[in-house]
Amino acid sequence: MESLGIDIKLLIAQLINFSIFFFIVKKFIAKPFTSFLKSEKDKDEDKNRLLDKLKKSEETAVINEKKMREKVKKELDVIFSQSKKEAQEMRAELIKQAEKDALEIRDKNNKLLSEEKDALYREVKNKIVETSLMIVEKALKESLDEASRKQVTNYIIKNYQGKQKAYEN
Amino acid sequence: MKINPKLKNDLKRFLMDKIQEERSIVSVYSANLLSNEDKKNLANKFKELDWKKARFEIDKSVIAGVIIKIGSRTIDLSLLGSLSKLTNTLYEID
Repeated sequence: MESLGIDIKLLIAQLINFSIFFFIVKKFIAKPFTSFLKSEKDKDEDKNRLLDKLKKSEETAVINEKKMREKVKKELDVIFSQSKKEAQEMRAELIKQAEKDALEIRDKNNKLLSEEKDALYREVKNKIVETSLMIVEKALKESLDEASRKQVTNYIIKNYQGKQKAYEN
Repeated sequence: MKINPKLKNDLKRFLMDKIQEERSIVSVYSANLLSNEDKKNLANKFKELDWKKARFEIDKSVIAGVIIKIGSRTIDLSLLGSLSKLTNTLYEID
């Protein structure tokens, strides 16, 4: 061995040194470092998982928002169309009522006009009758002389047939 | 003041008789004095009336003919009455 240049004692001492070094490194450096790496890896995984979850929930939220918007839009459309329909119905009803009122007013005015016309007609007729009879009365009074009056009186009494009814005062 | 019941009854009877008498009195209104023939004709036409106490009065507004009044009753045979009837008829026509 010596001819090969290998010192057994040195080899053993190096082996022991290496073993001690290996033991110390493994015990105090490699293990905590490995656990640190592992914990970092776990944290990264957690982070990624959380991110994925957040992303998913964000996507879900976006979809939900979209759905909600569509739903709201649909509801708004329904409300709008319903309101439009109600407004049209109300308008139609108002127009109908206004037409009815207008007809009533027209009928009332026509009736009033007719009544006024009748009243005027009656008044004119009465005036004509009054005036005509006044003229006749005056003409009779002026045209009948004493003899004529006597003749008329005589004629009336002679020709009385008993049809005249007596009236109470 | 108390009124004697006998006096009250007498007064009442007197007034009733007066009213009865007034009711039966015939008044004839005409534009001119009626001739005897007219009066006779009237008496013949209205035999139910008491012509003994009849009063004949002149009313120019009658125009012609006569108006006979017996109490509250009136028989109108005058031209004025005819005109009045004609007026009423004309008023009633539409």
